[in-house]
Amino acid sequence: MFRSFAEWIAHTGLNHTFQESASWLIPTSQSIHIISVGVLFTSALLINIRLLGAANTGRTVSQLTRTLVPWMWGALGALLLTGVIQTIAEPVRQFVTPMFWAKMIMIVIVVAMTAIFTGKVRANASAWDATTPRPPGARQFAIVSTLLWVAVIVCGRFIGYTWSDYL
Amino acid sequence: MSIDSIITAIHDSTLSAILRGDFPGTEWMFPIIETLHVLCLTIVFGTIAMVDMRLLGLVSRQTPFTKLYRELIPWTWWAFAGAVVFGSILATGKIEDYAYNLQFLAKFVLMALAGANMVVFHVGAYRNVASWDKVVPTPARARLAGALSLALWIGVIFFGRWVGFVT
Repeated sequence: MFRSFAEWIAHTGLNHTFQESASWLIPTSQSIHIISVGVLFTSALLINIRLLGAANTGRTVSQLTRTLVPWMWGALGALLLTGVIQTIAEPVRQFVTPMFWAKMIMIVIVVAMTAIFTGKVRANASAWDATTPRPPGARQFAIVSTLLWVAVIVCGRFIGYTWSDYL
Repeated sequence: MSIDSIITAIHDSTLSAILRGDFPGTEWMFPIIETLHVLCLTIVFGTIAMVDMRLLGLVSRQTPFTKLYRELIPWTWWAFAGAVVFGSILATGKIEDYAYNLQFLAKFVLMALAGANMVVFHVGAYRNVASWDKVVPTPARARLAGALSLALWIGVIFFGRWVGFVT
């Protein structure tokens, strides 16, 4: 089913437009993709390290969240846009490998987790800024979301190395 | 010893053969090391971009520059060390392709320029950081350093990604 969807995309005009400019469009799009990953992943790490109590250099969880989460959403927008460009340009490459689907599922989970976390911090900043006792779930959120972002990056990189095995 | 004989020696090394997947079980070495390189470089870029954008007055305007700087720079250096180690290992695998590759060499020229820009910032604007630590806009020299750094590191990522398309 996904294969036929991929082949349908491969026959669209947009696919042909992107393919004609593929020599510069795909590397450029991937570069913007990596730059956005840098902004998003670093922001997530800084918040999570703070939640775990390390790097206690002053800024509180709510300050970090207020400053960094908007950048995470901005970077996510750029990732979505460049990701869609890359998928339209090379649909089969994406849809045939389980790495792509694992990546998408994990993105949905970690984005939902981050949205819920951000809402909770906004609703009760002082509780989240306290380190003794740490709010329930803070450590778990930090560890699980860090692992998910790392796994998303790993799967993303491995799309390029596995897709030809599934043709 | 000529450059070419050094390149040949690297190419003939066991490490290079491992990266090319020449031994059983090493087929995935290149993708694995590359993924580790990517994880490191996203942190390098993310932390540098946050410092640069603070210099430009775009983020964390209420946070003193030195506070942000001291919080982020250790992460930059650790991640940079990781990126250098994994990147060097990676380069041995395709050294004959990389050594005279325009994009690969351009990446290192831009990194050298980014390093020079950092040195100029340290002996220049950063010397009297006390006078502008909490001030936005920062002095023109500091803003110039931030803008140059951001542009150069974006260039490094572009050329780095491009290498994978031409070798």
